[in-house]
Amino acid sequence: MLRLVQCTPPAGEARQHFPRFFPGIQFPENLNRSIENKPVLRGRVVGTASVLAAVTLFFAGTAFPQAVDPGVQSGSRGTGAALSSVQANSPSGILAFFTDGQARFQEVEVVSGGTNNGLGPRFNSNQCSSCHAQPAVGGSGAATNPQFEFTSNGVAPGNTLPSFITATGPTREARFPFFFNSNGSVNFNSPNGGVEDLFTVTGRSDAGSCNNPNALPQPSFAIAVAENNVIYRIPTPTYGGGLIENLDDSTLLDNQVNNLNNHFGIAGTFNHNGNDGTISRFGWKAQNKSLHIFAGEAYNVEMGISNELFPQDRPLPGEDQQGLGLTPGCLNLSGTGYPEDTSNPAATPNSAVLDDVSAFANFMRFLAPPPTGSVVLNGQQVSSTTIAAGASLFSSIGCATCHNPSAGNTQVSNFTSSLSQVPVPAYSDLEIHNMGTELADNVSQGTAGGDQFRTAPLWGLGQRIFLLHDGRTTNLITAIQDHASHNSEATNVEEEFFNLNTTQQQEILDFLRSL
Amino acid sequence: MFSRLVWAVAVLASVIAAAAQSTVPQSPPKNGGDFASDPKVLKKVPSGVILVKGAWASASDSVTPLPEGGAITNGVLTNQYFGISYALPPNWTEKYEGPPPSESGLYVLAQLSPTEAFKGPARGTILMTAQDMFLTPLPAKNALELVNFSRKHLQADYQVEMAPTFTKIGGRPFTFFAYWSPVAQLHWYVLNTEIRCHAIEIVLSSRDTKLLENLTLDLNKMKLPDGASPTEGNGGGEFPVCVKDYAEGDNVLAHVDPVFTGHRFNSVPVRIIIDKEGKIKHVHYLSAFPDQAKVIGDALAQWRFRPYQKDGKPVEVETGIMFGMARTPARRHTDNSMTE
Repeated sequence: MLRLVQCTPPAGEARQHFPRFFPGIQFPENLNRSIENKPVLRGRVVGTASVLAAVTLFFAGTAFPQAVDPGVQSGSRGTGAALSSVQANSPSGILAFFTDGQARFQEVEVVSGGTNNGLGPRFNSNQCSSCHAQPAVGGSGAATNPQFEFTSNGVAPGNTLPSFITATGPTREARFPFFFNSNGSVNFNSPNGGVEDLFTVTGRSDAGSCNNPNALPQPSFAIAVAENNVIYRIPTPTYGGGLIENLDDSTLLDNQVNNLNNHFGIAGTFNHNGNDGTISRFGWKAQNKSLHIFAGEAYNVEMGISNELFPQDRPLPGEDQQGLGLTPGCLNLSGTGYPEDTSNPAATPNSAVLDDVSAFANFMRFLAPPPTGSVVLNGQQVSSTTIAAGASLFSSIGCATCHNPSAGNTQVSNFTSSLSQVPVPAYSDLEIHNMGTELADNVSQGTAGGDQFRTAPLWGLGQRIFLLHDGRTTNLITAIQDHASHNSEATNVEEEFFNLNTTQQQEILDFLRSL
Repeated sequence: MFSRLVWAVAVLASVIAAAAQSTVPQSPPKNGGDFASDPKVLKKVPSGVILVKGAWASASDSVTPLPEGGAITNGVLTNQYFGISYALPPNWTEKYEGPPPSESGLYVLAQLSPTEAFKGPARGTILMTAQDMFLTPLPAKNALELVNFSRKHLQADYQVEMAPTFTKIGGRPFTFFAYWSPVAQLHWYVLNTEIRCHAIEIVLSSRDTKLLENLTLDLNKMKLPDGASPTEGNGGGEFPVCVKDYAEGDNVLAHVDPVFTGHRFNSVPVRIIIDKEGKIKHVHYLSAFPDQAKVIGDALAQWRFRPYQKDGKPVEVETGIMFGMARTPARRHTDNSMTE
């Protein structure tokens, strides 16, 4: 047994006390364990495909079955419900604010007429819940993309459907990393990065004076695709948003220091609000400070509805760059003046007084995280024991350095007790990390650069169809692999995942799909 | 009669309004910006390249070696800044370069993994990092304190297999620390020393302890500078002396504060080398936006320092400064001890 020396060795002479165990370190006996060389299927059978693969490979005698993504879990398990204290209507009246926000989140907006107007002149969709749909209102994109029907169902009749919007692909927004030169080439000296709305109101019967496609053209998506000057984003799930919002900066900063004590080469930073310098935390690059800002920006950018936070209709980035803005015939289409969404002082009940943006923010704020625990995957019940093993493995190999199961407790809440001094099991440190060349989108937001992304909260991952910021894959293993590339902080951890045996990898995948 | 007049006026007004709307001059189709009606693909946006960077590393000159400036050539990792040379084990390679230096002063010098030709019961990883001990927010003054901190704050998933223990690699003093994850059956061997006030950590991990032992023994072929030590790696000799907080107090004879006019809410760690006359010789911006590097460089050029003396002679000195929204390191405790 190695004899260790208690020493405080500032001086060179202390070295004479070093145990001489190198070269040939006298590794303690308990270091020399035999390893499980053969990946053995144990616990839950991982699904039909993997069983077939196992049988095939057994007879081939040359390899072992691979871990497989079990896919989206069965049933919603109550995802989309309010926080428990909100369900209990504590404090009195709060439940009405949740249900009112939930209803407004599902309202279909029109350009003019009716009560829900202000849509456009440019937009990506006409309803919050059309994008935040899976598995329940407030989530991410659904299996069937509603945008695919917009040019044929009257939502955007005068438009050309961009090639990257497909019936069963991810619900998307598009951004051009760079502006175009006037001759059609990409201007690499002029970063853009703003949202290029997919559709215009042109052709709609309620579009009034804004019906000239030459005056309000769609951005040049076909050319952007041809020149590889387009990136995509999918809707971020909003479950548990109130918990994330209520984490104090000092808690996040302490967690950041604790995270630095890792042996995986990971060291992230935070994005900051440009006004007061505090930590921002919503959006794929943590560019938004609060749920209010998040909702106000989305209402303006994704649906074209001006509001109390973003009071003007939004031109495309290039329209402002060229000093043109929106064409005058496409302004104030609702006829209400600006902002199109305002609070309603004379309305009753109390919840109806709020503007839409505040109602959306309350809905997301009071939305509970998805339930966790035992789950049905591929038609089979997965035990809590298996899930716990996967969670422990997930942590052991370093995933939890960033995807932290709890970045700390919330501060005291003035809203409701479920938001007050409670853990935030979001599996995120809310830091932005360099994710390398594979995931880089060359869009800068706040202080986040082209390859920096917020650690995506993983709650609800088991019910998400499209993965990563752009929805490029539906396969968890591909999503894990894409964490490794040049300049990524996650490369070493990705390697550790593949250092595990197949059974261990499967337990991690099952755990992730249990969230 | 009056009502008819009102109606007629209203109709006339609506007609005029409609006419006005229909004759609103619409902007012509735009070209450039978001619009390109004339495709001319001179150069596609390349995939897999980070063209729009956030805060990134840069330096005042291209001659002075940088911590992140190592390279693997013909199977040999060479890092001129640290004076390290390491022949990679057979069938090991670096598939991906590490991330840029962090704002907390962490460098990923190399991350190695087996090639397809690797034979063995389990794969593994070799991670080599350097932590700038001037800039770390962790409560550690040197490499030994850093590894002791790691051991004392090991998360619950791990068990210690060997507490930090002195050893030698390449003839230089190191600490050796081992832990494992019972659930993952993965072992980590951490070898740690300090060079130029950076904690150098070589982290080996695998489920195969024999592989780890062989990799550890193989490290003995690594070439390291004379000054490497878990507690005494303060430069000197072929390198500048490194002194924490040298750019403070009476050592600073003249200084001008940089004024950030653009980005201003991030921490900007900077490492400087001061020449024998007390002037700035070299500035390394570990993590800064270009506008920040510019104003810091312009300001530092006007700083003057008391020349650092060693054995009565002026020598170059290296130190770190944190600009921007810097965090005060949490000095919870220090620990130079080795315990069983």
